[in-house]
Amino acid sequence: MSAGLEFVLLVFMGLPLLIVLINNLLKREIAQKICLSLGLIAGIGQMVAAIVVFVSLNAAGQASVDFSQFWNLTAGASRFSVDFFSLLALFCIGMVVTAGFLTAGKTIGDKRFNFTNLAMIILLGMNGIALVTDLFSLYVFLEITGVASFVMIALNKEGNGIEGGFKYLVMSAIATAFILGGLAFIFMQSGSLLYSDVASALSDWQNVDQPALLIVAFALVLVGFSIKSGIMPFHGWLPDAYQSAPAAVSVILGGIVTKMAGVYAILRLTGDIFVGVNLVNQILMLLAIVSIVLGAVAAITQTDFKRILAYSSISQIGYILLGASCGSAIGLIGAMLHFFNHATFKTTLFVNSAAVETATGTTEIEKLGGLQEKMPVTGVSSILAFLSTAGIPPLAGFWSKLLIILAVWQTGNFFIAGLALFASIFTAAYFLRLQRCVFFGSAVEGLENTKEVTGGICLSSVVLSVITVGFGLLFPLVLLFVQSQGLI
Amino acid sequence: MNILSIAILTAALLLIVTGLYMLVRTHNMIRIIIAVEVAMKAITLLLAYAGWLNGQTALSQAFVVTIIVMEVVVAVVAAGLAISSFRKNGDLDIRRLNKLNG
Repeated sequence: MSAGLEFVLLVFMGLPLLIVLINNLLKREIAQKICLSLGLIAGIGQMVAAIVVFVSLNAAGQASVDFSQFWNLTAGASRFSVDFFSLLALFCIGMVVTAGFLTAGKTIGDKRFNFTNLAMIILLGMNGIALVTDLFSLYVFLEITGVASFVMIALNKEGNGIEGGFKYLVMSAIATAFILGGLAFIFMQSGSLLYSDVASALSDWQNVDQPALLIVAFALVLVGFSIKSGIMPFHGWLPDAYQSAPAAVSVILGGIVTKMAGVYAILRLTGDIFVGVNLVNQILMLLAIVSIVLGAVAAITQTDFKRILAYSSISQIGYILLGASCGSAIGLIGAMLHFFNHATFKTTLFVNSAAVETATGTTEIEKLGGLQEKMPVTGVSSILAFLSTAGIPPLAGFWSKLLIILAVWQTGNFFIAGLALFASIFTAAYFLRLQRCVFFGSAVEGLENTKEVTGGICLSSVVLSVITVGFGLLFPLVLLFVQSQGLI
Repeated sequence: MNILSIAILTAALLLIVTGLYMLVRTHNMIRIIIAVEVAMKAITLLLAYAGWLNGQTALSQAFVVTIIVMEVVVAVVAAGLAISSFRKNGDLDIRRLNKLNG
């Protein structure tokens, strides 16, 4: 227990709350001026805190820290804990929220006060998801994140936002009912919902009184989190929510929120809780490959920039879950790294869509064209992000996909590994179509005077592209670190 | 399994089926919210039952109370969206929510 790290819980959980308080106590005119800077402070502070914890954990040779400010650890009460994967997730959250606030500067208009409040509540909820060690607290933070996102999608109170928000809300409520139903059955068996207790209660799950109830429970929990992460048979709400949200909101939503609410939870389940349950892994692998292929195919026919990105998210989430479903360390590492990479390149692309929307006023790709010359920074960063998504070496996406496909190959499912590899071609296909329609060729009528966006949007695309390229080039170092931890 | 267990599980199943049936059948936003709430009540019943089975009644009561609070928050946000939609469209029909597709 390193006592020196107790302060970071105040950064992760206290800072967002503090900013909501400051924001609402100030006079409205002053708050309107400074709220976006406060949000930036929260995002950057979180990234710094995650790095500090990472460095000190690494120096102390520990794998995790438990926090005990508010309660007695020996009482077995639910508590917060940080390990390397939560740190990665917390860093991603900080990065995406920072990018979201940088984007908001030019796009959000007079809604910036509400935007900051809601984004801070989402930040709090996501940090909670990353930190908790108890399935019920996980549900509570899922709901906090969810409720704030429904309001955020409908922030402008126009028709599309209300439609997307309501669809998300209903699907999310159904997912919650499934998850809690499954938790109730698991709770009957284990008597506690702490990750460690549930894991030990389920380690021998075939030999309990009513294994049928547990199978129902696995199915319910899996379906619930699949709806929350929007993988393919359960994806109906996701493109609508992404497309209808205001630009800055869709950066945060598409970059991280659905990943934390669904994918991170599934990774925790397969990595920490359902360790010995092969059934879950097999179903998850099937769902993942369906999601990868159909998500990519569906993306090819879309005509809206953000909608293409949404279907691309569905497909990439499939890769993350495919890695998690292998049940091996290398698969889980690949899944975590793809989680990070996905947060980087998908945020870049959503920032680019925000830039295009700001400069031209539309995200429909049929109405766009030839923006490469007018908007060089946006064009180049979107090409880099798309190459990374498609898994072209040496960019970051290539390495994590490589690890995932290797892990699938190790499990002996050669057909699925081949299919996952083959789906990268579809990824390249829909992104090439997007690039050709939006950026290549000559400028279409009415867009001759388009100017490159400046300020925060430009800055965040540049920084995120640097991260994508840099992470790809430095990837051998990451692998060496993982090896030094004895994980692969 | 004794008679009480069967009664509770049947009641929970009925509530869930009722909620899902309402969800599928209705086109009214308010009714959708009510349907989701009905299904959630079945879940609270299941959790209370689980606590009774394994002796952790205090824990399960805490769970149930928390779920009720969270559900109210979700219902309030849903009602807010329904009101916004009503102001926009003049009714609560979800068939009007069809502008996003593809």
